[in-house]
Amino acid sequence: MALVSADTKIGELLNELHQLIKQTQEERSRSEHNLLNIQKTHERMQTENKTSPYYRTKLRGLYTTAKADAEAECSILRRALDKIAEIKSLLEERRIAARMAGVYSDTDPPRKTMRRGVLMTLLQQSAMTLPLWIGKPGESPPPLCGAIPASSDYVAKQGDKVAARVKAVDGDEQWILAEVVSYNHSTNKYEVDDIDEEGKERHTLSRRRIIPLPQWKANPETDPEALFSKDQLVLALYPQTTCFYRALIHTPPHRPQDDYSVLFEDTSYADGYSPPLNVAQRYVVACKENKKK
Amino acid sequence: MLLYWRHRILVNEKMSELKDCPPLKYYDFKPVDHVKVCPRYTAVLSRSEDDGIGIEELDTLQLELETLLSSASRRLRALEEQRQILTDWQDKKGDKRFLKLGKDPDLAASSRHSKPKKQKLDGKGSHGPGPGPGRPKSKNIQTKVQEFEFEVDPQDIPRNPKNDAPNRFWASVEPYCADITNEEIRVLEELLKPPEDEAEYYKIPALGKHYSQRWAQEDLLEEQREGARANDKKKNMVGPLSELDAKDVDALLKKSESQHEPPEDGCPFGPLTQRLLQALVEENIISPMEDSPIPDIPGKEDGAGTSPRSQGKAFSVPHTRSLEARIREELVSQGLLDSDERQGVGGESEDEVLAELQKRQAELKALTAHNRSRKQELLKLAREEMRKQELRQRVRVADNEVMEAFRRIMAARQKKRTPTKKEKDQAWKALKERESILKLLDG
Repeated sequence: MALVSADTKIGELLNELHQLIKQTQEERSRSEHNLLNIQKTHERMQTENKTSPYYRTKLRGLYTTAKADAEAECSILRRALDKIAEIKSLLEERRIAARMAGVYSDTDPPRKTMRRGVLMTLLQQSAMTLPLWIGKPGESPPPLCGAIPASSDYVAKQGDKVAARVKAVDGDEQWILAEVVSYNHSTNKYEVDDIDEEGKERHTLSRRRIIPLPQWKANPETDPEALFSKDQLVLALYPQTTCFYRALIHTPPHRPQDDYSVLFEDTSYADGYSPPLNVAQRYVVACKENKKK
Repeated sequence: MLLYWRHRILVNEKMSELKDCPPLKYYDFKPVDHVKVCPRYTAVLSRSEDDGIGIEELDTLQLELETLLSSASRRLRALEEQRQILTDWQDKKGDKRFLKLGKDPDLAASSRHSKPKKQKLDGKGSHGPGPGPGRPKSKNIQTKVQEFEFEVDPQDIPRNPKNDAPNRFWASVEPYCADITNEEIRVLEELLKPPEDEAEYYKIPALGKHYSQRWAQEDLLEEQREGARANDKKKNMVGPLSELDAKDVDALLKKSESQHEPPEDGCPFGPLTQRLLQALVEENIISPMEDSPIPDIPGKEDGAGTSPRSQGKAFSVPHTRSLEARIREELVSQGLLDSDERQGVGGESEDEVLAELQKRQAELKALTAHNRSRKQELLKLAREEMRKQELRQRVRVADNEVMEAFRRIMAARQKKRTPTKKEKDQAWKALKERESILKLLDG
């Protein structure tokens, strides 16, 4: 059925990915030679401590070739990453379709019986595999990359993770991690599911109560402006929970794989803030609301 | 003060650094060592088609690919930046440095962030050699650099090709403007000497024996010799016969000629007479001559019949000669014949050659005369010019003397004393001398 065809498609895609990876390595080994040349020229130039026009032109030529090589390498890598994203989205679709159809595969236990540990692992994995935004030279990070907010007319798609402000049974308002089920254009309301489905029902919330989570990680090395900076007020997912709380950024990540280090507002501590805790980029969003208790 | 100097030294160092080489950062462009950093990627690479990739590996692969891409992307940016620096440096020295100041903040920002990139990604990205702390300093210093630039530039700017044109021009014109030397006058005089072989050109060589006669003689000689040789073989008498050869031959020839003496076809009349007759006689080749109507030519002929052979008498030669002369006179008076026309002894063929020869000789004479006159004129002018040159030389000497006198007087005036009589005299003398020479020159 749909599942089977999805499988074959996935199989195909995996093959293509394999090809791309092999191509990547070919490209990289090819360009390595040129990089070595550049290295050698650099060394020579540095030992002689002067740059004759010969060296300059030579270097320029080498740079240009290396640039072309790097561009080719980048494009293949991007294609490979796109392929992975494609596969993943297909998997995601499959999961959703399976859930809808009520068929559960072995590797994906029904949510209802998911243990906390498993959920946390899933969340962590989801955070880790958030695609890293690597822009081409001159490209600026798009909305929903790191700290860049979504455009005002953005509508979250089915399956997107969001931070949703829900009213708990006891009247408390909490930001929870939720997954979008659908969006009703006429009423402008989202239907979301708590990611931790333990007993929580589907919520219907207006757009104001929904903050879409980032879809890309920002690369600290290339796009530092897409990161939250120190002492910025954010909503961050408290580790080992599925709820967002207000926090101040302690340190932004240094490397793409790093997490934010944040200080949660916590009245149980002397200075009102918790010690620095790590939260992945995926689970840190801008905080718009005023403090209210 | 010391600070100022130290600052200056620092500035100078920076300046020299910047002067000598473009502010390249010599990034370390080593590629990612994927074996170490991306194990899953490496593993996948080594797998064959069949094994393929498992779904569970996607995540790690994704991370690793992202790493690679990120480093490649950074490399790309660094390369571009460096290349731009090189281009800018090469193209414009002065102006672009202003622009580079604007670029600096960007570079500073990006490099500051590039510093933190650490161990996992290390060895593949850019290591700016101390870019962080070094940056702000260089930014400040670059403002100062501009002032010094203009000193620096003349060394760097490739030397303008020296303007060579005037030198080349004067070099080419030199032969025409140079002074005349004695050498050249001598050459002219040489040229004027009449060539020795000139006389030869004007000689009209004697005609010499006509070739028919010569050949006849030679042939006869040849035959005689052969005969003598044949005889020799029989009788062995070489001596006397050989002596006789030359004379014999001549005698033989003369005899044969005398036999031929009666003019060809027995016509003693001069050529003009013949021509006249020919014009008057209608020749009819087919019918025999007796039948054709022969007009009676009145008066002029003295027993000269049309068929002299039939008569068999010897003709009176004087009459034919006078006849010829009278016909000629008549024709000339009628204007039918040019009086100048002179028939050569040998016949018409040689007249042309002679005429041509004479024409050429005349031409040669005229040309030679013309050349000689020009050369003489040139010689005269050259001598004149030499004289003038000498005078000009003397003028130059006089000029120098005048200048010298002037300097002495000026020096004297500077020293605030009036020039001595001696100096004044010298000055006047020099001036007068110069004037006289100039007058000579003009005159």
